[in-house]
Amino acid sequence: MKRIIVALLLTIFAVTPALAGKKVINIASDCTWPPMEFVNKDKQIVGFSVDLMKACAAAAGYEVKIKNVAWDGIFAGLAAGKYDAICSSVTINEKRKKVMDFSAPYFEVQQSVVTVKDSTAKSLADFKGKNIGAQIGTTGYFAIKAVEGVTPKSYDEIGLAMEDLYNGRLAAVVCDDPIAADFALQQEEYAKKLKIAFVVKSDKAEYLGVAVKKGNTEVLDMINKGLSAVRADGTYDKIKAKWFGSN
Amino acid sequence: MKKEKQVKIEVTDGASIPDSSDKGLLNAWWVSFIGAVGIISYLVITKPDPYRDILLFIPDGIVVTFEVTVCSIFGALIIGLFTGLGRISSNKFINLIASTYVEVVRGIPLLVQLFYIYYAMGRVLQVPDMLSAIIAMSVCYGAYMGEVFRAGIESIDEGQTEAARSLGFNKQETMFLVILPQAWRTILPPVGNEFIALLKDSSLVSILAVADILRRGREFAAESFQYFETYTMIALVYLLITLILSRAVSHMEERLNHYDR
Repeated sequence: MKRIIVALLLTIFAVTPALAGKKVINIASDCTWPPMEFVNKDKQIVGFSVDLMKACAAAAGYEVKIKNVAWDGIFAGLAAGKYDAICSSVTINEKRKKVMDFSAPYFEVQQSVVTVKDSTAKSLADFKGKNIGAQIGTTGYFAIKAVEGVTPKSYDEIGLAMEDLYNGRLAAVVCDDPIAADFALQQEEYAKKLKIAFVVKSDKAEYLGVAVKKGNTEVLDMINKGLSAVRADGTYDKIKAKWFGSN
Repeated sequence: MKKEKQVKIEVTDGASIPDSSDKGLLNAWWVSFIGAVGIISYLVITKPDPYRDILLFIPDGIVVTFEVTVCSIFGALIIGLFTGLGRISSNKFINLIASTYVEVVRGIPLLVQLFYIYYAMGRVLQVPDMLSAIIAMSVCYGAYMGEVFRAGIESIDEGQTEAARSLGFNKQETMFLVILPQAWRTILPPVGNEFIALLKDSSLVSILAVADILRRGREFAAESFQYFETYTMIALVYLLITLILSRAVSHMEERLNHYDR
């Protein structure tokens, strides 16, 4: 009996701080997407959106816990309630809006095409008959699929696609522009051989948002509150400058 | 001499091969088979969206899965034959090479091998994705196949070798004309088993951007967010394929046993 009471008390003690303290929002990120969200040499999850989420939390009075989750299945985990939100460079689009809710946009991206330095291609259609890679289920992959005559190849991680491009199995890779810049210009080995050739033309601007389970307004409101606060007080610009340089 | 009852302990990754002595109409194979066919048809007919769409999305993936599996099993057979011969070789050097190969390959998870061969080879040689996947699978299964060949060859009575040698066959002729044709009957059933195991493991090549059944399913799920429906269908398709194959292997085993009677 004594033991049970002790165990009960311990559980209560363990739970109370969470109840009394700030609300914790669990966020899933696929940390293979530098410089937006990635794992650094010290095994810490860092990146633009990581800093942004932490700043939002500080501004709106909650806490965030970021978990590294593989992209493939990240939306299934949200639907299953394994975490409260996804902040993983998720593009807001109509198809996704049907199954999840999005915060206010926090970043604008374009789809950049990375290819080898001596390529003269000016549009995706110029790669006719060749393989083009992207991460599975990303807007980059959908952009390739929309082009007639090229073979789309889907990878689990964008890094694997870049490696295959570097090794000559792919003619090009399509991904968000900050990630393309990080791989093609910042990584020494890749920078020698690869370049960002052009941006996929689109009639609609593409924005990234934080995704929450459909109908989870509580978390959504907290995140939105944080986002508008950091935009208003200049923190957002500071974080952006930290990761992308000024301008 | 009283014939001993053979105890066969099957510890393999292959599907369970239906036993020929189990003739009941309602054995596990039939239950699974009718169940799989029934559920697939039921889902496709009653809920064509998304199940029919999923089924229509994956056929080219099935072709790729079979291509990878069939090519890899041939690769593995060739590697396995030489590894098996190497393992029983009296030449210490050849023996060491073959044994080391088996040891190394069996000690590394297949997933890691696939990554390694695919991306390591990419840096050195320009090999297309499909071929690298096949090479990686062959190298891995070749080691297991080598053990099958070794066991098969060793199962042939020593007297056969002695007889062949005394009739004037040289070592190679003895192996290829006398021993292997007989060993083949012992080797073939496990090879069928390995084939099924390989087909299932071929789902791992989906990480290499090879568009097999699983990859196609994941692409469908990633776009439609219907994870439950997609993976239900994928699992059923794999099950149906392995069930059909295991029946084929069991028929083959029966035909081979026929000669023993």
